[in-house]
Amino acid sequence: MIRFEHVSKEYSRTGFALKNASFHLRKGEFMFVTGPSGAGKTTLVKMVTMEERPTSGVVRVSGYSSESIKRREIPLLRRRLGVVFQDFRLLRNRTARENVAFVLEVTGADTEQIKPRVLRTLAAVGLSDKADRLPSELSGGEQQRVAIARALVNDPFVLLADEPTGNLDHRIALDVLRVFKDINLRGMAVVFVTHDRSLLEHHPGARIIELDEGRIVGDSAAEEDPAA
Amino acid sequence: MSYTSREAFFAFRRSPLLTALSILTIAFALYTLSVFGLVWLNIERVLADVEERVEVVAYLEDGAEPGDTSVLVREVAAYPEVDSIAYVSKDAALERARTDLSEYSELYSDLEENPLPASIEIALKPGYRRSADVEDVARRVARFPFVEEIKYGEEWVEKLDFLQNLSLFLGVVVGGIFAGIAFVSIGATINMVMISRSEEIEIMKMVGAATGFIARPFVIEGFTKGVLGAVLALALLTATFETLQQRVLTLEFYAPIQLVLGVVLGGCLGAIASLLSLRRHLRSW
Ligand SMILES: Nc1ncnc2c1ncn2[C@@H]1O[C@H](COP(=O)(O)OP(=O)(O)OP(=O)(O)O)[C@@H](O)[C@H]1O
Ligand SMILES: [Mg+2]
Repeated sequence: MIRFEHVSKEYSRTGFALKNASFHLRKGEFMFVTGPSGAGKTTLVKMVTMEERPTSGVVRVSGYSSESIKRREIPLLRRRLGVVFQDFRLLRNRTARENVAFVLEVTGADTEQIKPRVLRTLAAVGLSDKADRLPSELSGGEQQRVAIARALVNDPFVLLADEPTGNLDHRIALDVLRVFKDINLRGMAVVFVTHDRSLLEHHPGARIIELDEGRIVGDSAAEEDPAA
Repeated sequence: MSYTSREAFFAFRRSPLLTALSILTIAFALYTLSVFGLVWLNIERVLADVEERVEVVAYLEDGAEPGDTSVLVREVAAYPEVDSIAYVSKDAALERARTDLSEYSELYSDLEENPLPASIEIALKPGYRRSADVEDVARRVARFPFVEEIKYGEEWVEKLDFLQNLSLFLGVVVGGIFAGIAFVSIGATINMVMISRSEEIEIMKMVGAATGFIARPFVIEGFTKGVLGAVLALALLTATFETLQQRVLTLEFYAPIQLVLGVVLGGCLGAIASLLSLRRHLRSW
């Protein structure tokens, strides 16, 4: 799945964004990553997508290792990940349906399958009736659902969400959290990054990793699984 | 419509001016190159004609002994460059002058003494008919003491040689400058598209679109611009050729296969320009 082994990331201009971080995300697990601003949460996500490489240590994701992955393998790795951002990142001139279909188009999916897969995924996030709306015709919470559908449509093994509720009201944030919980119930692993600790109590069973100044200062599962 | 075909002509709509500039500069690059190439081709043909007839003629002093002459003939015939050699006696020269220049035959008819020298005509083997070789042979023949004068088409050959080299040089330099401008303007178009498409490209990277897939529309677009430029160049070239043909003389034109290759070359030029400027963007992926 995902395994960090003594991972540090040092930026030449700003110093350590991540320091000696180790953890192992198991199949189907729901994991919160929390901590104050600048703690290294986004850096952790970028390590998983291999947008950034560790300065030291190893990141292992789905059979790939940060030490040995080749440039042309990175797209293949990313097809196995679903990523959701705070700012949705939808294409403004495309409808919900087209935004989701875009992923399949550009990763070479079978044309025949695109439509049914898109509709099924939009149904899974509860947006069947708004499939033909543009992002500007959707609320923030609905836009984030489209983004979740887009992350899901390629059948990843994990959903990575970097502050997915950061732009939403608390009530809407809880709705979106529920969508992630539903998806997790169907067996998909979730990494949910948030600095909003009040969300954590709405999913008591989840694992929580706490970051501060680049260090993992708390891991609710650490006792059971001392990583690497 | 598929992603690639939809995106490939995005820049055409988005910035027609920049696109037109790219196509025009490619057209000028290829036009310049092809016009000078045509000059080269035609000089080459003339040179081939001239070369056929290149020979070195050594005029002999009147006092040359027949023995000396036969030594000369034997030695020169042994030069590796020499194809055949012919001795023209004073009498034979006069005879030839009478028939060749029949209008002036009176001039030759009542001469007390034959003013024409005996000569040796040296034909060179193919491959030794360029100016450097001809000069070399002439220099060696001139060393024989009873050779009075040497003649060969030196100026002609040298001038044509020079013109040919000049046309090649100009074609490469001027064509290269236009090709450089074409590369820059294609690069600018790609940067522009990259910026206006940055959201889309970011998402493609994020969801794992292959790098080649992301690059493909840009390369297709570059290739198309190159082909359009080449077709434009071909039209200009044909017009130029027709005009020259009417005004001047019969000229040689490119073979059809060469024209097809030229158009493909234009396409490749455009595609390569696209790839080169994409590389910068590709590296950050
Ligand atoms: N590309 C970069 N170059 C240099 N420093 C960086 C870069 N990205 C992040 N950092 C630094 O690394 C540290 C961790 O950043 P990161 O974005 O991971 O924090 P975060 O926990 O996501 O914060 P937030 O809650 O504000 O999103 C910060 O101090 C940040 O300034
Ligand atoms: Mg962040």
